[in-house]
Amino acid sequence: MIHIPAPDPFAVFSLPRQLELDDTALERKYLELSRDCHPDHNRAADTDDCAAVLQRAAEINDAFAVLKDPWQRARALIEAESPGALDRNKKLDPMFLAEALELAEEVAFAKDEAIAPLRERLGAALAQDFAAVAAAIAADDYDGAARRVHGSHYHQKALADLEARA
Amino acid sequence: MTDSPVTKGDDAREPRLVLGIDLGTTNSLAAIRAGSEARVLRNQQGEALIPSVVCYQPDGKTSVGSAAKALRLEHPDRTVSSIKRLIGKSFADAEPDVAKLPFAVVASERNLPRVAIGDDRHSPEEVSSLILREVRRTAELAVGRSLHEAVITVPAWFDDTERQATKDAAALAGLDCLRILNEPTAAALAYGIDGGKDGTVLVYDLGGGTFDVSVLRIQDGVFRVLSTAGDTHLGGDDFDALLAQRILATLPERARDSVNEDPYVLQAVNQAAESLKIRLSEAESAELELDLGDRGIAKVTVTRPEFEAAIAPLVQRTLDCVQRAIADAGVGLDAVGDIVLVGGSTRVPLVRSRLESFCGKPPHTHVDPDQAVALGAAIQADVLAGNDRSLLLLDVIPLSLGIETLGGAVQKLILRNSTIPTSVTEEFSTGVDGQTSVDLRIFQGERELAQNCRQLGNFQLAGIPPMPAGLPRIAVTFLVDADGVLRVTAREQRTEVQAGIQVSPSFGLTRDEVRRMMLESLEHAQDDFLAREAIEQRQKAEAMVRGTRQALELAELPPDQIYSVHKAVKALDRLLADNADAKALNAGCEELTKVTATIADDVISSAVTKALREEQENS
Repeated sequence: MIHIPAPDPFAVFSLPRQLELDDTALERKYLELSRDCHPDHNRAADTDDCAAVLQRAAEINDAFAVLKDPWQRARALIEAESPGALDRNKKLDPMFLAEALELAEEVAFAKDEAIAPLRERLGAALAQDFAAVAAAIAADDYDGAARRVHGSHYHQKALADLEARA
Repeated sequence: MTDSPVTKGDDAREPRLVLGIDLGTTNSLAAIRAGSEARVLRNQQGEALIPSVVCYQPDGKTSVGSAAKALRLEHPDRTVSSIKRLIGKSFADAEPDVAKLPFAVVASERNLPRVAIGDDRHSPEEVSSLILREVRRTAELAVGRSLHEAVITVPAWFDDTERQATKDAAALAGLDCLRILNEPTAAALAYGIDGGKDGTVLVYDLGGGTFDVSVLRIQDGVFRVLSTAGDTHLGGDDFDALLAQRILATLPERARDSVNEDPYVLQAVNQAAESLKIRLSEAESAELELDLGDRGIAKVTVTRPEFEAAIAPLVQRTLDCVQRAIADAGVGLDAVGDIVLVGGSTRVPLVRSRLESFCGKPPHTHVDPDQAVALGAAIQADVLAGNDRSLLLLDVIPLSLGIETLGGAVQKLILRNSTIPTSVTEEFSTGVDGQTSVDLRIFQGERELAQNCRQLGNFQLAGIPPMPAGLPRIAVTFLVDADGVLRVTAREQRTEVQAGIQVSPSFGLTRDEVRRMMLESLEHAQDDFLAREAIEQRQKAEAMVRGTRQALELAELPPDQIYSVHKAVKALDRLLADNADAKALNAGCEELTKVTATIADDVISSAVTKALREEQENS
């Protein structure tokens, strides 16, 4: 089973491919597109049309789900600019990996009083990851951006584990 | 199933009226919106609630609604209630409920629950269709017009098969179900129209048999569901059951066992339990004396604290769902502006007080908890009728959808709480040379292993052109439509052949069963049937014309064959243009099938040859 990527969400929303988006404007655009394309308002007489309307509405919903989440948005942007970059760059810098694993270990053995500071550190690590992804994208370094996206998964996973314990 | 087409040529002077129907576990009701005002429809006695009860009387007569409820004590084993608990389920799923029902339920050959009345077997879809028919009849009398389209509500937590089964019940009742709408979403719509403020709303819907909670954002007429959670096996009936246990416990042990075997007494005990519950919503304690003949007299006093202690674990389960919905919505409890209560069971004081202390604010009480769902359905019906473009609902799928991979694991394709419609496309291939079909098993649920999720059915991709293993590239699109029902389409990408999909649902009725039952219902509603048959025949003819034309373009055929196929397609197309009746269309379809049957294989194989040749040239 091979996943066939959905259409470029930036194209679906007629937006330039950029990482920074204004949330309020994005939501307004989403509601506007939905009003124009939702099957509730476009019940076609022909069943073929109806399938097309459904497909278009699905595209808009799915694109919004990607665009509203900064990390998913970053992945979509990388994939659109440099198809296959995310698949090609799964190998991480050993130094980065060692640090991330160390942090994960700390989470696994953290005592109650260590949870709050760890949460803060992981939050900061993720903010750093995102800034690094943004900088790489700005420099058209999509391979670098892809590597950092994969790296952030370790931090996200550790944070999720921490929240599950708390 | 595809959406039904909009009927053309509606009388322009009369606005299109689409019913909103709340098809409940214990009661059902209809509402309609004409102009800006939505109103519930009442029968001549002024009653809006139609008990969701069907009685198959010994003389062959069938009663529905209040008449059937009145016969409950007389014919407990022939009176069917709470059918919503069985619809779209397997017998195994339904078994815990079956044990509590006073009528017999048996397993069918496909292991689906069937209501057993004497020697007759009735599917839950049939029983529901009788209720829907009664709702429709009541509505038609109230409006003074025949009505054939509806929006029907279901618990948000209903899965794909339960939704599909509800649509089938509507079809059997001669109703075109324009939309399956989630109950809490419908209630939010009624709240929003009735002066509710823009902002984030939590809808807490505790009915007779099901519990739902949804978090919505309302903004400029757009009602967007952020998350939903629930339990299809939690409701006021469960409160009753706990009280029934209390009543039975007062009987001597021997009598207790025999009561469980006797549907007449069980029904009386259940009814007494319900009345106790209702009294305990007002009073601090309630007494009951139930004469059970030679089994003795059940004499019980229940205080409210006792009742509350008994139901507290159930109420806690609803709060766990609320917590999950809030977390999935990605908002905090403090962001929730209003809490809307829906369903008769929210009248229980403990439910209100627990919810209030959990959320930190009192619930909004302006919406009638019995009517909100039907009113909301009527509003959405009006939108679908094309009468109101100012409102828009964006709902979500309650449970993730996935596909079974090697080793019985489920790979999620669509995550729960995704806004619908939503779709995902995956590519599949064959494992063996010349393989012409691929089986896909689709599951719904949150667990990692297939055995812990609900299987929706087997999807067989058939008609794959024979090729070496791994060469076919079949793109399969899984689309969840606005009803929350999955539609699967497949296309072989090298040949552009639309692969046929054979769906064998694990639960509910097969398409053939639906057809057969519609035939059987002929005597009840010949007009309904003919109308629907005509629509379906038309759709089939249209699809055949379209499909054959596509195949003609794709295939390389000798000119004489092209000529004969063209002739048959044209004849069928003319029948469509002339609005011919179902019989004539059927004859036309058969004629075209005859002509194409002899060359169908050639069409496919020449299309494949062509595609393969191009493939070789390219590489």
